[in-house]
Formats: sequence, structure tokens, C-alpha cells
Amino acid sequence: MSRPINSLTKYSLQQRLVLAFGILLILFLGLTGLVLDRAFQESIEASVEERLQLQIYAVLGVAEPDIDATFFVPDLEEARFSQIDSGLYAFIFDQHGNEVWRSPSAVNMLLSELNMTVQDIDPGQMVYGSTQTQEQGPMSFASYGTYWSSLEQEFNFVVLESVAPTDAEINEFQSNLWLWLGGLAVFLSLAQFVLLRWGMTPLKQLAQDLAEIEAGNKEQLGEDYPSELHNLSHNMNMLIQSERQRQSRYRTTLGDLAHSLKTPLAVISGVAQQDRKLNKKDMADISEQIERMNQIVSYQLNRATKTSQSKMLVTPVLIQLVVEKLSAALNKVYLDKKVKLELEVSEGATFYGEESDLTELLGNLVDNAYKYCQQQVQIQITQTDKSLTIIIEDDGAGIEEQYRHWVLERGARADTRETGQGIGLAVALDIISSYGGELKVENSALGGASLQVNLKTD
Amino acid sequence: MRLLLVEDEDLLRAQLVKALEDNGYIVDSVQDGEMGLFQANEFSYDAAIIDLGLPKINGIDLIKAIRSAGKVFPILILTARDKWTDKVEGLDAGADDYVVKPFQIEEIKARLNALLRRAAGFAKPSLDFAHLSLDTSAKKLTVSGNPVELTAYEYKVLEYLMLHPGQVVSKMELTEHLYDQDYDRDSNVLEVFVRRLRQKLDPEESLKPIDTVRGQGYRFNVPPN
Repeated sequence: MSRPINSLTKYSLQQRLVLAFGILLILFLGLTGLVLDRAFQESIEASVEERLQLQIYAVLGVAEPDIDATFFVPDLEEARFSQIDSGLYAFIFDQHGNEVWRSPSAVNMLLSELNMTVQDIDPGQMVYGSTQTQEQGPMSFASYGTYWSSLEQEFNFVVLESVAPTDAEINEFQSNLWLWLGGLAVFLSLAQFVLLRWGMTPLKQLAQDLAEIEAGNKEQLGEDYPSELHNLSHNMNMLIQSERQRQSRYRTTLGDLAHSLKTPLAVISGVAQQDRKLNKKDMADISEQIERMNQIVSYQLNRATKTSQSKMLVTPVLIQLVVEKLSAALNKVYLDKKVKLELEVSEGATFYGEESDLTELLGNLVDNAYKYCQQQVQIQITQTDKSLTIIIEDDGAGIEEQYRHWVLERGARADTRETGQGIGLAVALDIISSYGGELKVENSALGGASLQVNLKTD
Repeated sequence: MRLLLVEDEDLLRAQLVKALEDNGYIVDSVQDGEMGLFQANEFSYDAAIIDLGLPKINGIDLIKAIRSAGKVFPILILTARDKWTDKVEGLDAGADDYVVKPFQIEEIKARLNALLRRAAGFAKPSLDFAHLSLDTSAKKLTVSGNPVELTAYEYKVLEYLMLHPGQVVSKMELTEHLYDQDYDRDSNVLEVFVRRLRQKLDPEESLKPIDTVRGQGYRFNVPPN
């Protein structure tokens, strides 16, 4: 199951959706804007052409030819034809391109600039175009070819209109259009962000619940997820529960196995001790072998029952309670020794792991301290954000420097150790290393050994 | 000293019974928790040895039941589970010490001795009264530092009286704790043991350590050192 991790983890779900919708939104609004802009311009152009056409018809309608092939155009309804430089101009050219009439508005216009409006146009044909003039700026024009039968001549009727007002109209439309589309984009982006957050809430809740389970504040996921996640949360709950049960069943089974292996060992040991025919040497051999078998069984079963590192199933353990229970038990066992125990546990110190692991770890180390002390044992447990430190000191003989590393290494495998040594330290070392911690042996100010356990908690 | 032994493994139970009886204890042995509870409620014991993995009522629950019935005799746990969780649970339930299987019989005897002594309030392995000293592990008596020979029954009587100093111990109680149930209980035998003990402990009759309380029993009247 190896998949390129990058492609899956580079973006969060929300980032993916925001990115995808963002791109879609920009494309959609951009295209919409372009289409609307184009359509508006076309409709404006069409309306300009229509207007020009109407003006040409208006001029045609009132134009009266003179015999000398000039025209007289009285009473044009459109006032702008009469106003100088009004922006609307009309011309009539003969078939040779010579001007035969111009509207009063066009008195200032240079004829040379109008050449292109006078083309070879068949009668009845309407041509539209645009041209640039010096004084009046850019213009749209319509040119209409007609045959005047009374004069037996073709004429071109031309109407020009300044495009300035149209441009202004288009510009205004464009800036309005993009302003609105931009506003819409901002609004939709915000709405999309809010909606995504809302839609993602159950997933966030799920992640939070899982974190709570990891931290041990919750036993399982809630049931109040939307229907799409309900199956997932239900199955995860089942998985968590069945894994917890499996672990507890596993531990019980191994405990039973220990019981059923060790009772026969006890019987064999008893038989050997009561057999009067056995000499001392044989007795010692049998005892030694039984002890070895016992230690291997204990050690391997302990290893097997040690919990996996799955944080999911861990419930936080208040260390104070465990230490108090343990010291009460040890005080009972070592009652004759009248051990003075000084206990200092920083408030709320918590072990993130199996309670049985902590009990086993502390049990083995503190039992050693009780066993080897004269009268004094000190336990100091401090917790910071990153680590948990357990220091166990006694006023016994201590561990000589040359043996310390041997003490720390012999936990590696119980079956390679010499007989006669307890497996307590080996078990403790195993637990410490399975939680990624370390054990140090030093001299205590009390005079004996100081064992220091460091466990990472982050 | 009368002991209650609750162990479900027949062979182991038989071995323990034999070893303990060889050592002078009276042992009532049963094989499950239910019978263990019955015995504990019906008879008076000086100590109990209880296996944790028992049928019917498990060891922990049995200990809890015995303690909640107000019995204070010391309890030694036998357990195959050598995890601290189990030991702590057992001790927390009311047991006083534990021995992990497989064990040496000697260890059981030593722990038992210590528990009995402790229950009587003695911290050291020897019970010391004035110039009398009874070593409970070696089962030896010294008077003013000189060893004094005791028969097994003399030792049992003296140990029981010394473990209950200042208390009146009836002849009935003494017989119950010194003899098997099917033993012929003749109180005259007790009187013989006590008379012989008085002679061995105090030949000059200067200390008079054992009082006879008429109609009630005997009392060891020397305060412990």
C-alpha cells in the first residue's frame, strides 16, 4: 500500500475544495463577463447601425434633386444635422465621389478625411464602417448607394456619427459589469468558504473526537455524525472496542497461561524438595532449572503482554494513584523494615500508556529500592510538557560504577542471564524501551542507588 | 498454629500440607474459594495461605470476603501471576504478603513465620521477654542466652502463648490451634506441657512467666522487651 504521500497530503480537503471552486469561479465569472461584454458591444453596434440607417432614410426621404445634379435637403427632423459639430453629419456624393451636399452640422469637416466613406456601392446597398477624423474624433458611418432616375445618376448618401457617446456608454457598461462580477466573486468566495467550513464541521469534529480518544478523554466516537459519516464512526467505534477487548483477552489468556505453566513448576519443585533420596547437588540442579524455566516463562509472558504502542487505545493514568497503591502494598510486604518513604509526585502527573505497564515498571524498581535500602526510599516524579522523569533513590549499598552498564544491559534477554537474578529490572527496562524512554543509574545523595527513568510524553 | 490452606492444584496442596505439618503447623486444606470461605468463617485460624487462581470464588474475592467478615489473621497469597498489578490487587484486597509460584517450601515457611510474628506485634524474628528468647525461624529457645531443649509440642504451646502475651488463652483455644481436629483432646496433656515449660523457662521460679487463670486458661504475663 505505497502511494505517493505528497499527492495525498499536500493539500487539505478544504484547501482542495477552495482551490477547485476558486478556479471554477474565476473561469465562470471571467467567461460570463467576456460574453456579456461582447453581447453588449454587439447590440450597441447594431443599434448604431440601425440609427445610421434611419438617418440615411430620413435624409433620402426629404432630399430633392436639382437639375444640376445637386440636392436640396430641407427640414431635417433631426436637429443635430443643423447644429455645427453636433456629432451627426450627412453627405451626398455623386458617382464620381464629388460632394453634392452636406448637412449644416458638417461645415467644418475636411472632405479628405471622408474618402473611405465614398466607395463604389451598388444602388440599394448599405455599407457600414468607421473612420478617424482629426477634429471630430472617431466616427461610425453608413453609406448607401442609390440611383436617382430623374437625374439618371448614382449617388452615395453618407451619415456619420461620432462614436464618443457610444464609447462612453460601453465603457460605463464595462466598468459596471466588472465591478459587479468582482463583487460577486468576492461574495461567492466568502460564501463558499463559510459553506465549506460548515460542511467540513463533522469531519473536524471527527478529527477532534479521535484526538480526544488519543488523549484518553473519551472512550469512543459520538453517534451524532451526519449520515455519510455515521457508518465510518460506527465502524471505528467497533474497531476501537474490539481492539480493546482483544488486548484485554490477550492479557487474560497469557495470565492464565502463566498460571497453568507455573503451578506444575511449583509441584515439581515441591516434589524435588520432599524427595529424601535426592542428594544436595541434584536438588540444587533441579531448583536451578526450575528457576530458569520460571524466569523464561515470566519474562517472555511479560514481553508478550506489554501493550502495543497504539496511542489510540491508551487511557491516561494518574501516577499518584498508582504509586500510592504500590507503596501501600510494599509497606505491607516490608513491614519489618519500617521503610521511610518520601514521595513527591508533581500534581496531575500523568502516564500515557497502560496502567499495568506503569505498575509493572514502578513495582519492579521500587521493590528493588525497598529490598536494598537500609531504611529510606525516595520517589520523585516530575512531569514537563515533553517528558516524565521518575527518580527512585535508596540509602542502601548502591550499585558500583563498574556494574552499572551490566545492570543496564542485562535486560536484553532473560534467558541469557545467570540464574539467581530476578527478572524485575529486565522487565522494567523492556517497558521503558517500549515507551521510547531511557534508564540511568547514579549515586543517590542518600548513599545508595539512584535510578532515573526518562519517558518522552510529547 | 492452625493454618487454612486454599489451593486448587491437588499435588501442590498435598505437598504444602505435608511440608507445613512437618514443620509443626496444623493445616486445614480445601480446594476452592467457597470451601475456603466456609472454613474461615467457621473456625479460628492463625494464618491463611490462599492461591489467587481459585475455582468458585477467586482468591481476591475470597480475601475480601474474609476481611469483611472481620477476620484479622495474616493472609499469604500464592500466585502464578507475578505481575505487579496482581500482587498489588491482592495486597490491596487485604492480604499481607505474597509468594510467587514456583516457590521453595522454605520461603513459604519463612514468610509464614514472619507474618505470625508480625501479627502478634513483634518486628524481629525472635520473641524476647525479659531473659527469655524464642527464635521462631530456628525454633530454638534460649534462657539467659543458654539454649534450652523443647519438644515439638512444648515449643508449640510456648510459641502460641508468647504470640498472645497478656491474653488469657483457654485450653480449648490452645488445643484447637495445636492439634488436628481428629486428635484426642485431653486437657491433662496440656497441663503436663505447661508444667514442664514452667520448669524449663524458670527453674528458680523468679519470673513465673505463665499464669494459670482459674477456670479460664493460661496467660503469658511477661511484657515483651
